[in-house]
Amino acid sequence: MKVRYLAAGLLVAMLAVAAGTASGGTSSRHATKLVVWLQNDAQNGWPEAVALANRTFKAQHPDVDVDVQYQTWGSHLTKLDAGLAGGDAPDVVEMGNTEMTKYMAAGAFKPLAQSAFPNNKTWLQGLKGSCQYNGKLYGVPYYAGARAVIYRTDQYKAAGIKSTPKSLAQWMVDNGKLMKKYGKKDSGYSAVYFPGKYWYFAMSFVYDYGASIAVQKGGKWKGSLNSPRALAALNQVKRMFKFSRASKTGDEANPQQALVFAKGKVGSFVGNGWEWPYALDDKLGNPSLATSMNAYPMPSHTPGKYMPTFLGGSDLAVPVTTKNQSLAADWIKAFTGTPAETEIARTGNIANTTKLLALNASNPKLAPFARAAKFSWFVPTSPNWVNVENANVLQNMLVKIASGRASVKAAATSASNQITRILNTGA
Amino acid sequence: MSRLAPEGAAVASVAESGVIPASRRRRFSRRRLGQATAPYVLLTPAAAVIGVVLAYPLYLLVKMSFQKYGLFELIRHQGRWVGTANYASIFHDSEFWRVVLRTLVFTTVCVSLTMVLGTAIALLLLQVSRWVRIALTTGLVLVWAVPVIVAVNIWRFMVDYQFGVANWTLSKLHIGNFVRHDWFANPWSGFAVFTGLIVWGAIPFITITVYAALAQVPRELLEAAAIDGARPWAIFREVTLPLLKPIFVILTSLSIIWDFQVFQQIWVMLDSRPSSDYYTMAIYAFHQSFQISEYGLGAAIAVVMVIFMFAATLFYLRQMLRTGEVH
Repeated sequence: MKVRYLAAGLLVAMLAVAAGTASGGTSSRHATKLVVWLQNDAQNGWPEAVALANRTFKAQHPDVDVDVQYQTWGSHLTKLDAGLAGGDAPDVVEMGNTEMTKYMAAGAFKPLAQSAFPNNKTWLQGLKGSCQYNGKLYGVPYYAGARAVIYRTDQYKAAGIKSTPKSLAQWMVDNGKLMKKYGKKDSGYSAVYFPGKYWYFAMSFVYDYGASIAVQKGGKWKGSLNSPRALAALNQVKRMFKFSRASKTGDEANPQQALVFAKGKVGSFVGNGWEWPYALDDKLGNPSLATSMNAYPMPSHTPGKYMPTFLGGSDLAVPVTTKNQSLAADWIKAFTGTPAETEIARTGNIANTTKLLALNASNPKLAPFARAAKFSWFVPTSPNWVNVENANVLQNMLVKIASGRASVKAAATSASNQITRILNTGA
Repeated sequence: MSRLAPEGAAVASVAESGVIPASRRRRFSRRRLGQATAPYVLLTPAAAVIGVVLAYPLYLLVKMSFQKYGLFELIRHQGRWVGTANYASIFHDSEFWRVVLRTLVFTTVCVSLTMVLGTAIALLLLQVSRWVRIALTTGLVLVWAVPVIVAVNIWRFMVDYQFGVANWTLSKLHIGNFVRHDWFANPWSGFAVFTGLIVWGAIPFITITVYAALAQVPRELLEAAAIDGARPWAIFREVTLPLLKPIFVILTSLSIIWDFQVFQQIWVMLDSRPSSDYYTMAIYAFHQSFQISEYGLGAAIAVVMVIFMFAATLFYLRQMLRTGEVH
């Protein structure tokens, strides 16, 4: 009999829990809490800028608590979708600039008044473009990043490399020298740490050779990674993989490439400005490398030129589900104002305003990235583009090339067809 | 007499015979009513729970599978009816059929290995000394107690590209050069790792259940068979196996249901970005829904998956009922 009572009690408890979670999901948040989703890059790279913004905001709104929740690039859109569907999305969300179009087109964000935000006249043009859809502004530029080659000066010197390479051909030769000097006795050494899924680096070759991921003709997109120029570029990518002993199926963030570099078995890697100080982090990195690190822009296959770098960046947007629109805008103002942006730039990024570009050029640790940023490429501007990213089309192609499971041509053709299909879906 | 009229002719005729007084008759029928409804009343809470957590979401899933439901519709909480277009789209998608085949093969391999190894260890438990049995059972229970995510991370560390224990051990044993061996570069070796992980995690439940069932096999039957000259394998096949058939049927059908919907293991091990070589049906449905924002397509794949599993369950339920009839 007791067992039956217990079972009945359990059942009631289960029901109560189910009812509780059901109502918990839809309960309205107190207006005194502002939820902000930032990527963990901010947590690793520029926590001071976040703290600064929170202090500024708190001074204006002493009764509002800011809850900054750090997300990862791999899962934040899934969570955002769930939040939008359940009416529980954050008040402010950081979006990658390649992710914006799809969400703006779907009506996921509130339109914003440009004049209300600091430095709006001098915003970086590339970032501002990613915040606009049908003539309206749905996001505020946050920061941009350019990648350059971050390398070990001591290893370059020991391998007999007198100056940093000025052409792709020279870069390959130099990498060969590093492999000869260090890679023979240490089978874990990489002259260039290049994980198989690192498409931001690989696609730079494609744009350097004058090719692109997709082209638009008569309103239709067509994948173009199997064009002769793109194939020539991807063959160079395949050569570059030979100087790397990074995982052929891994990517640049798992593990963080700067931290692998800090372990000492890497001659160079292609990273964002913030990854330089991150490699020197007291806890995770190796501060003793401070005197033997430097950076240079990726050299082009045309001698003397730079290879274009992916114009990565982030914007801040306000989801339509928010009930705290003006508070959200105030927090964005605090975080994208000159003081916080100065801190963001100081830690290795390109600030959202051209006013602060001089800051980068004058700092030797930022100048190589500022130089690299002069030549950049961007993904096809289709609302479906992010689906190509999320379907891992480029990553899968690169893994096949890196591991030799398919020829460059076969891998590129299959990826190109997939890109054509995805970009034209619903068009 | 007029009071009895509504209770029907049968009751009335009993009353006319004068065996039961009218007042008792009424109490009797009320009790009978209570007895008849009691099981349903008691089932109501469970039915309500199932309705809330299973039937309603399933209804929404089926409804969504007939709708165009992308990000645009998601934000407006309003899908657009497209009939069977989603199903037509997945049935014409060669990737979908590759995924179905992969999932079926993977499930078959995992379930077969789990059942054979689990039963073998259970038989071993009968033969060993008490202490070995306790040690082995403790080990099995510990494996069983490890949450999936923790288990995946332990395995992930073992097969890690750079610092993996497996690579180190295999190299030290001179089985080959496994320094910086990438287990996931080739989907066959990748799926071998996943098979190992899933079978490892599933064996304890099978072994402990089969062992408990084996303890119920009457010793006289085994002895009689031995006296009749049957060899151990024949005894197992002719005596033990038929007796344990109901248990095996239940365990196999449960294993199929579990292994068919494998998700977390692959998802977590491959950093939430598995390449298409690693798509199982569960991952493909998730990918279509949450990564491509085609929730209608994802729902259609999920519905097909539910039908597959329902078919498997139905088949085994029928088998089980038949076994019951023989007894």
